[in-house]
Amino acid sequence: MSVFFEQLLNGLTIGSFYALVALGYSMVYGVMKLINFAHGDLFTLGSYLGYTVLVVGAGWVTATFGVWGGMAVAMLAAFLGIAVAGILLERIAYRPVYKAGRLPLVVSALGMSIFIQNGIMAIWGPRFQAYPMTAVPKEIITIGDIRITALQLFILLLALALMALIYWLVEKTTFGAAVRAAALDKDTATLMGINFRQVIFFVFALGPALGGIAGVMTGLNYGRIIFNMGWVYGLKAFTATILGGIGNIPGAMIGGLLLGILETLFAGYVSSAWKDVFIFLVLILVLIWRPTGLIGEKTAEKV
Amino acid sequence: MKRILLVVLCAALVLSLLAGCASPTTTPTPTSGGVIQIGLQAPITGNFAAEGQWAKQCVEVAAALINAKGGVLGKQIEVVVADDASNPKDSALAAQKLISQGLKEVIASYGSSVTAPATDLYDKNQVVSVGYGCTAVSLTMDKLRPYFFRTAGRDDTQSEFFAKLAVEKLGAKKIAIMHDNQDYGKGVAEDAMKYLKPYVDAGKTEVVYYDAITPGENDYSAAITKIKQLNPDLLFFTAYYPEAGLIIKQARQAGITCTFVGNNSVPTPEFVKIAGNDAIKGALMLNEPMPQFLTYAESKEFLDAYKAKYNEIPGSIWAVYAADALNALCAAITKAGGTDPDMVAAAMRTMTDAKGITGSLLFTERGDRKDIPYYTYVYDDKGELSLYK
Repeated sequence: MSVFFEQLLNGLTIGSFYALVALGYSMVYGVMKLINFAHGDLFTLGSYLGYTVLVVGAGWVTATFGVWGGMAVAMLAAFLGIAVAGILLERIAYRPVYKAGRLPLVVSALGMSIFIQNGIMAIWGPRFQAYPMTAVPKEIITIGDIRITALQLFILLLALALMALIYWLVEKTTFGAAVRAAALDKDTATLMGINFRQVIFFVFALGPALGGIAGVMTGLNYGRIIFNMGWVYGLKAFTATILGGIGNIPGAMIGGLLLGILETLFAGYVSSAWKDVFIFLVLILVLIWRPTGLIGEKTAEKV
Repeated sequence: MKRILLVVLCAALVLSLLAGCASPTTTPTPTSGGVIQIGLQAPITGNFAAEGQWAKQCVEVAAALINAKGGVLGKQIEVVVADDASNPKDSALAAQKLISQGLKEVIASYGSSVTAPATDLYDKNQVVSVGYGCTAVSLTMDKLRPYFFRTAGRDDTQSEFFAKLAVEKLGAKKIAIMHDNQDYGKGVAEDAMKYLKPYVDAGKTEVVYYDAITPGENDYSAAITKIKQLNPDLLFFTAYYPEAGLIIKQARQAGITCTFVGNNSVPTPEFVKIAGNDAIKGALMLNEPMPQFLTYAESKEFLDAYKAKYNEIPGSIWAVYAADALNALCAAITKAGGTDPDMVAAAMRTMTDAKGITGSLLFTERGDRKDIPYYTYVYDDKGELSLYK
């Protein structure tokens, strides 16, 4: 039984990464009806920003603020840095072509994905980088037979807290209502006095920033980062978004967590070689049963 | 304003695409005047970027050594590099690029799955290609490729060596084998099963875990928790170093203390960097002779020249094999008296006295290297390798 719980924890950890990245896809899609292909690469950029903060000056940040403080600084730096990057991305690559229709927008997104990826490669090099071991807490918590690292627990709790915060922000506040209204119908929302630019600003700052934090968490938890890692996470997070219902905030969270757990349990009890086959089979079945995703609303969407 | 932005955007796109492909160092002028051009297809970017860069550096050092001695047939050697980005799709593109530049001899590449599509292209276009980091048995055995050779050994030798080591020397009763479902890793794992079978039939050992992971991911905790529960004496990992580093790190973190054996693509500085010194202490590595343990006169000359330029020795044997691929091609071109691919391929098969950095460069009829020994190495707590006694 303890093995089952350990696998469940493993799944929740992977799932919370997927969910955080999926939130960014979903928020942007909800408002702009655009699949932001550069999102996975912003996640990587966040990871590299965190890495830079932790290695600069031979680990000065960790030495000054302690291991946990250093981690917080790295995450904050990535959060702010990627928020700015997200806003810039919208300004440079999406706003000029927004009126030209969807296809130019998607092409622009793909171009930015390649641009950011190669930019990271040009700055940090094409080889693997490793987060410094000294910047990561080593404590291991044992509950009965279950072993979990303190870091894993921290990541899990922080990810859940962030998700709860976003949920509250979007579903319970007036500004969140404006975001949802803009997602539902941009033109009517604008007529009702909602500042659409502000909404776009919000989703392009917060969505990528969450991905940036997830990037630092990945680096801390697994140690190894590389310029093209955004692709794998982007793909899985995108799958999670579709699974939960694209454009839907709780859908992205549930999709991400569910994907992580299903993947882990299948890998743990059946075969890890076939887990992706299983995941995509589940996705297909869900889409046959509910074409709009698990909790996506049925709208007359012309995609 | 909008137009300027668009122009900037287009420029950025073009630039980023250019950055994606490492362009060859020279313009195409095949075998004219005083140079012989040799292609090098290597993973300059992507998961195996470290291997690709070492290979490039090794080949360039080897070319400089040859050129300093007067070149081949009185001509200087020039290396044309193409990046295969560590994946089969770009591998085919890189091969096309070198072929369309009119090169007749190329060195290609690292990774069996990456090399496979390129070898077919080279073979079809009658270009002699020499693999350096591709050890899957299938490359030479699934069909005859008359223009393909490799300076690396073959994985069945490694798997046979492993089975003997695991059961007879280490006395492992419960073995876990993990591969990555690609040509190379799966090949080693399947052969290991084949060579373990007699021991399993005799009741000396059993394989408690045999499964694959997906390369390129970060979290292998599901597979690791499963292995932990099965409690094996030995975990044999048969795939590349980026995943090996994560697997051993996550396994030690999860409290798995069993012997870890990594196959021949694992022992590199990158593996140490990813896993950390604590996790890899005592880990056993199977490999053909590592660069730091080479003892020939040619190897000393090469390693000294490399060290003088880069202040370290190559991180893996595969990069050194890339240099030896160049040495083999040069020896064959000298013997054939020209770069005609048919004559060079025939010369490769019949060479008897070619010496390289890693010993004699002799090839079988199917293009495999002859006489490659295997050794076991062990990591100490400083991340250094030594021979395992």
